[in-house]
Amino acid sequence: MTRTFQGRFTPWLFAAPGLVWLVVFNLWPAFNTVVLAFTNAKPLGGGHFTGLANLGRALNDDQLATALLNSVIYMLVCLPVLTLLPLLLAVLVEKKLPGITFFRTTFYTPVVASAVVVALIWEWLLEDRGLINGFAQWLGVIAEPLPFLTDRWLLLLSAISLTIWKGMGYYMVIYLSALGNVRRELHEAAAVDGAGAVRRFRSITVPGVRNTMLLVSVLISVSALRVFSELYVLSNGTGGPGGQDMSVVMLIQMYSRGFTGHLGYASMLSLVLFVVTVGPMLLLLRLNRKGA
Amino acid sequence: MRFPLTALTTAAVLMLAGCGLGDAETPANSPAASASGGVTGKVSLQTWSLKPKFTDYVQGVIDSFEKKYPGVEVEWLDQPGEGYADKVLSQAASGTLPDVTNLPPDFALPLARQGMLADIGRSDTAALADYVEGGLAAYRFAGLDGVYGYPWYLNTDVNYWNAELMKKHGLDPAKPPANLDELIEQARTLRDKSGGKVYLMSRKPELGDLTNAGVKVMSDDGKSFTFNTPEAVAVLDRYREAFKEGLMPKDVLTDDYAGNAKLFTEGKVAWTTAGGNFISSLAVDNPSMAPKVVSSKAFGTPPLYVQGVSVSARSKNPAAATALARWVTSPDNQAAFAHLTAIFPSTKASAGDPFFSKSDGTNGGDAKVTAFASLPEAKMLQPVEVGEAISKVVKQQFSLAISGGATSKEALDTAVAKADELLQQ
Repeated sequence: MTRTFQGRFTPWLFAAPGLVWLVVFNLWPAFNTVVLAFTNAKPLGGGHFTGLANLGRALNDDQLATALLNSVIYMLVCLPVLTLLPLLLAVLVEKKLPGITFFRTTFYTPVVASAVVVALIWEWLLEDRGLINGFAQWLGVIAEPLPFLTDRWLLLLSAISLTIWKGMGYYMVIYLSALGNVRRELHEAAAVDGAGAVRRFRSITVPGVRNTMLLVSVLISVSALRVFSELYVLSNGTGGPGGQDMSVVMLIQMYSRGFTGHLGYASMLSLVLFVVTVGPMLLLLRLNRKGA
Repeated sequence: MRFPLTALTTAAVLMLAGCGLGDAETPANSPAASASGGVTGKVSLQTWSLKPKFTDYVQGVIDSFEKKYPGVEVEWLDQPGEGYADKVLSQAASGTLPDVTNLPPDFALPLARQGMLADIGRSDTAALADYVEGGLAAYRFAGLDGVYGYPWYLNTDVNYWNAELMKKHGLDPAKPPANLDELIEQARTLRDKSGGKVYLMSRKPELGDLTNAGVKVMSDDGKSFTFNTPEAVAVLDRYREAFKEGLMPKDVLTDDYAGNAKLFTEGKVAWTTAGGNFISSLAVDNPSMAPKVVSSKAFGTPPLYVQGVSVSARSKNPAAATALARWVTSPDNQAAFAHLTAIFPSTKASAGDPFFSKSDGTNGGDAKVTAFASLPEAKMLQPVEVGEAISKVVKQQFSLAISGGATSKEALDTAVAKADELLQQ
């Protein structure tokens, strides 16, 4: 009896710490967010059910529309670039050449650096009197500094460039491990049959890392739609003039913080972001099934 | 193909979990704590980032209080500077607010609205006569009767000028600008003479600048904003023209509070506003610049910054808590504190203290005296109702107007509409 009891519950006992963590810090807050989205909760007081009032407010919120547009642009640029460039980079650094470890390390360095430190360095590069504007003016290419950090589209472009620069090394490493599983004999056989490097990349490498590409695409989509630190640091938390460079996560942060935070509305924004993020993921999944 | 589903589920849970927000306790509208009864029992005092620099001072205040009231035991909690608002918020939401807490007026307002703070106008009426009116006014809130904190210490801003940069580029540091017109005029001279390498102006306007221009920022009942007036349009237009002329760096559009002080310390701009002790911190950050800085009174009505202590309405020992709050903010203890650092007492008894009104002859001493002399006319230029989200919305719209992305009228109308929406929901 005791042995049976132990046999039945021992796995659960081992799993218990993880399960408790999952329930307390993941599932319960997620559930709570859904509940709060339909209330007027504030840090002190409120919390009454308000039906679809927050959803109605979100649908009429021009700042949310702007933030969603920024997030979607972010994703549309980052998705193809960060899915393909790291793969090409991985193919290059996969080769066993003298000193190739140096390049692998160099490409990976931005990943190790903290996002905030990286963004601060980029701020120094891009600001009015930063390195890039100073150098361009010294060369005579531009007469006036380019407003990298204060023009709506240039700020977005700067943040996207930062994300791509920082993400290249990370996804390159994922691809490097996937490339190790692509059989070398296939490349050799194709080469004997006269296939060039491009043809081999298209017909052997890409199908060989297809699943990894899908995983990378999903990760990029989620992180691009949830972008925060790059835009936050480059705009000093303001979201640029008029808040035109806010992302949805920045909006959530803005509404949820402080003594008078609008927790109910911030929760509704979280739900909106969730729905928006699930869409591209389902699409990628469907495309992959079709492709398979 | 299981992993995409797993990834999708994980991402979904993580995303929602990241946004998980704790429910807030809705406190009862407690009556003001009664300060009657004996001063005995255990009380807690919460300060904001005073350890370790002022440990001896605060401990001395506590020891003398316990000596005066032998039946009292004070527990001192000092919270780190970062995240203090979040800490107080979590204490308030969980019903664990200390008996006496250091709360600036904007922290005290939401707690007072929830009935969490004692009204000293009722519980300790006699105390009101000890403090300067500006300090008490900071703890009187629109829509609420009473005073919800003992003013502790005060500060204000003064103008700081880099005399070396001004002289080098054709300006007289003995005659610094005294208003916005003169500021723009001298900014133009500095820009022209330095070939655009040095700026005088390096911040965009804030709500305080509108108050100074005679704009009424908020209605008397504290229920709506009213700063979209022609006078406010004129102020933003002045800054927009200055920005267009290149009289300030483009990056001011995304600045933060320390923006102009940081650029000043780096020697990139020749003017900043800061508290009375700025030169002593400058002496650490840029020792060669510190002796070359001169100060002058802030433009218009100087801003008033108030720190105070409030008594929890739920204190189990209201009499002891009230006595402790009053002891911490008493004239003698405030004066002793102000002799240790560059703050000013909020009690009427310190008005004649020559320590504050006479300079030691250094430029830092001059700045302190300038700040102290400004205090009688200083006012809180921004309503305490302006929380984080409202402040951000206002900054965004002001930046848009100055950059030319919208007219000043459009930006002000949008800012008022959004701020009202945030205030009322």
